[in-house]
Amino acid sequence: MDGFPKYLLRRLLQFFLVIFLGVSGTFFITKLSPVDPVEQSLSLMTNFGATDPRAVELMRQALAELYGLQGSIFEQYLAFWGRVLRGDFGPSLSSFPTPVMSLIMSALPWTVGLLTLALIITWTLGNLLGALAGYYRTNTLLKLSGAVVMALHPVPAYIVGLVLLLVFGFIFPVLPISGGAQMNLQPGLSLDYIRSLIQHGTLPALTLVLVGIGSWFISMRSLVSNIVTDDHVVYAELGGVSSGKIFSQYVARNALLPQLTGLALSLGSVFGGAVITEFLYNYPGVGRLLIQGIYRGDYSLVLGVTTMSIVAVAVAVFIIDLIYPLIDPRVRLG
Amino acid sequence: MLIKKLAAAALAIAASVMPAAAQDFIAGIPRNEALIIQGPAAQNAEWFNLWAPGGGASNNGLQQLTADTFWFVNPEGTGDAAWTNALAADRPQYNDDFTEMTVPLKQGIYWSDGVEFTAEDVVYTVETQIANPGMNWSAPFTINVDSVEATDPYTVVFNLKEPNSRFHTLFTVRWNAAWIMPKHVFETVDDPLTYANNPPVSLSAYEMHSYDSAGNWVIWKLREDWERTSIGMDLESEPDVKYVVYRNAGNPDARVIEQMNHNLDVINDIAPEGMFTIARDAGENSAYWFPGYPFAHPDPTLPSVLFNHQNSKFQDKDVRWALALMIDIRAVAMGSYRGAANLAALSVPPTGTAVVDYYEPMQEWLTSFEIDTGARTIAPYDPTVAQQIAALVKPQWGDDIPDDPAQLAAMFGHGWWKQDIEAANELLEKAGLTKNGNQWLLPDGTPFTIRLMVEGDAIPTLARAGTILAQQWSMQGIQTTVDVAGPTNGQRLGAGDFEAAVYWTVETWGGHPDLSFFLESYHSDFIVEPGAVQPPRNLQRWQDERLDAIIEENRTVSFDSPEVVQLGMDYLKLAVEEMPFIPLMAYNKFAPFDTTYWTGYPSAENPYSASGPFWSNTRYMVVNLEANPNAPGAQAAQ
Repeated sequence: MDGFPKYLLRRLLQFFLVIFLGVSGTFFITKLSPVDPVEQSLSLMTNFGATDPRAVELMRQALAELYGLQGSIFEQYLAFWGRVLRGDFGPSLSSFPTPVMSLIMSALPWTVGLLTLALIITWTLGNLLGALAGYYRTNTLLKLSGAVVMALHPVPAYIVGLVLLLVFGFIFPVLPISGGAQMNLQPGLSLDYIRSLIQHGTLPALTLVLVGIGSWFISMRSLVSNIVTDDHVVYAELGGVSSGKIFSQYVARNALLPQLTGLALSLGSVFGGAVITEFLYNYPGVGRLLIQGIYRGDYSLVLGVTTMSIVAVAVAVFIIDLIYPLIDPRVRLG
Repeated sequence: MLIKKLAAAALAIAASVMPAAAQDFIAGIPRNEALIIQGPAAQNAEWFNLWAPGGGASNNGLQQLTADTFWFVNPEGTGDAAWTNALAADRPQYNDDFTEMTVPLKQGIYWSDGVEFTAEDVVYTVETQIANPGMNWSAPFTINVDSVEATDPYTVVFNLKEPNSRFHTLFTVRWNAAWIMPKHVFETVDDPLTYANNPPVSLSAYEMHSYDSAGNWVIWKLREDWERTSIGMDLESEPDVKYVVYRNAGNPDARVIEQMNHNLDVINDIAPEGMFTIARDAGENSAYWFPGYPFAHPDPTLPSVLFNHQNSKFQDKDVRWALALMIDIRAVAMGSYRGAANLAALSVPPTGTAVVDYYEPMQEWLTSFEIDTGARTIAPYDPTVAQQIAALVKPQWGDDIPDDPAQLAAMFGHGWWKQDIEAANELLEKAGLTKNGNQWLLPDGTPFTIRLMVEGDAIPTLARAGTILAQQWSMQGIQTTVDVAGPTNGQRLGAGDFEAAVYWTVETWGGHPDLSFFLESYHSDFIVEPGAVQPPRNLQRWQDERLDAIIEENRTVSFDSPEVVQLGMDYLKLAVEEMPFIPLMAYNKFAPFDTTYWTGYPSAENPYSASGPFWSNTRYMVVNLEANPNAPGAQAAQ
């Protein structure tokens, strides 16, 4: 078997291996968590009431049975894979008996919507500015934008988010600072609802854009800076090809290939949520769900979210691997 | 040209989207009819079954506004006024040996779907939970109830398996209690443990209006037949609050901003810095438990330094007392609460009726209490600590700080132990410890070190207190490191996986002097081996025959007997003598109210209800609030 079929098979095996190892690793890591979901539930049930110690012990036994936590870790591991292959992560232990899948599916649209949009804006702006800055190295405006982007790059998301929250939520209170949409508004395709979604998503998205744009800018500028010294670019310049054409056809296009890989990986990781930003703006996405799961020892939920994220990244890489030979002839299929 | 068009389109979208402030804050509901309360982020937003363990939605107004049971105790109240007969027509009636409890029920109470509430609902509640292990009150019913019967539609009789003079407390709300289930709803359900109960029928004055499937808010509306509820039938007029919104207002900074923007009327808890910001900037539009500094509302819980009594370091009371005397409580109060702490020398929270039943009557005993340091006898109590803290904060808060000692005691507590390093050193020597340079050594010659566990960011005030205690003990030669447990804090406390910790193991009714609420679980029968999980309370695993005798005696007297207070004092004196844990202060909660739309919130001057929005007593606050006639939109509505 030669050429594309062999390449496809190799990538397919790699794809399944990555998922198997990633998900198995996550399973055993979550089992190492010192947080016990039964004790967390008991704590919630007994924290504020007068509770007979004998009753607490009885409750502990009943919950352990209800949550299905019996059996050795290997038995649980096999049962877990059995459920995953059926697309079922079992019931959430912190929201028993609500299925984990149902919790994820209600949070996923918020995260995917917000992060995909923010990522596309970040990727486009970062690469465009980075490419321009790398090619037109003496342009003052581009130098300035580079300085701003570089200054923002190392600032943690929670600092940027907090500043935006103060500026647009308090000093000039023009944008909502909490939640995904206006309260009591019927979800749907109405203009009011869409406008509300945009309003509530603006600050989280802006935070993600401001924090994320730097890495795309830096890598793109670096790539372009290298390419402009390549022979084919020098030759084109000597041949009198217009600078616009050289930029778009000879430089940016070549530099874009690795950035596309990065984009695919980032799109895959969208499914893991943006924990800090979602927490900061109380955005009802997967990141917030993940944090709740970790704090409550709900390893079914944690496993569900991370498995989803692992599969999504693996799929993204797989797709890129398949597309790469088509767009870059330098990738050998043999 | 294309760029110009794109820019114009972007500006047009921005212009239509930006003025969020101009819109209704809640679509379709007038702001001046809605009380907005801080709620949780519900993970399972579609779930409204309060009786199954997935009922994480219990803090979203469900138990506070729709559930009901026999009795309520106001944790801030004193005397008879603190007790409310809700579904019950009278106080609990026991037979002589406490093996039978009869509850007469009020008549004329209806579920929100029009079905009458009767004794059959109560019988169904108890029997269903016994039949379904894992339901929230299944275990205590299984242990206590032999049978339950409705002798007529308005009388329930519980036959108990063994004498229990406190059985009624299962149905007595401080924070929550066993809520009555709607029989006519649940009897049609296959499995009450997996039934979401959505939408829930209500037994109290409010019912569900709408909720966010993403878990950020739930809106409750006043029932049209609100008079046909236990809370409604005692009201003189219709409540002003027509809608109650439990909304997750985000992180602590966002909560402060939302209240100052008038989008959050009731905050559950914020850090002192957030509280002081609101007090400084919100002006006339806010109210607090105290009208000025220290603002905070003391919960009936008692943050303390817990010692693990199964650790040999802390088994000698002289060592525990020495550690107490090394503490400069003024520094702890200033560092944790910036002075706004209500200090506690006794092992009950200085709130509600404990002030008049225990703290005030025991001042003389505390002042004359002495301990033998091995070298001399000292009287460690300092009744002037409140005045000392007042002097420390007066430069910042000026006229907010009164001179009257009684007022200062209400604000800062009645007193605490003097820092006495010399006496502490004498006590350590008495306990067989020796000092090498500035390091105390245990009797076996190893350095005396302490790992002091705190939860961390979830309770910042206690984490700060832990840091200051660690500094103070380290300075005196006991190297203390702070151990931040995070989300494992509760589990590690239960498993005894700590040396010392800053947390609470004492909670009281607040509005009733009976201490069985926590003390029952302090009996030595319930202390487990090291490594096994200790039932809630007595996390320090303190064991004492004298304590057992007090607990056993308390079981034989009725809840309302005057002997309860005497037994409570016996426990408190024993706790001072033994110092099994070092009580620090009440858990002070900064819970500011926005008065732009609503007035008449509970306060230290008028403590008619709990103020914390997660406490089920909050319902009494909700129905008593008055619409502010000067609120935006109020004039137009009149």
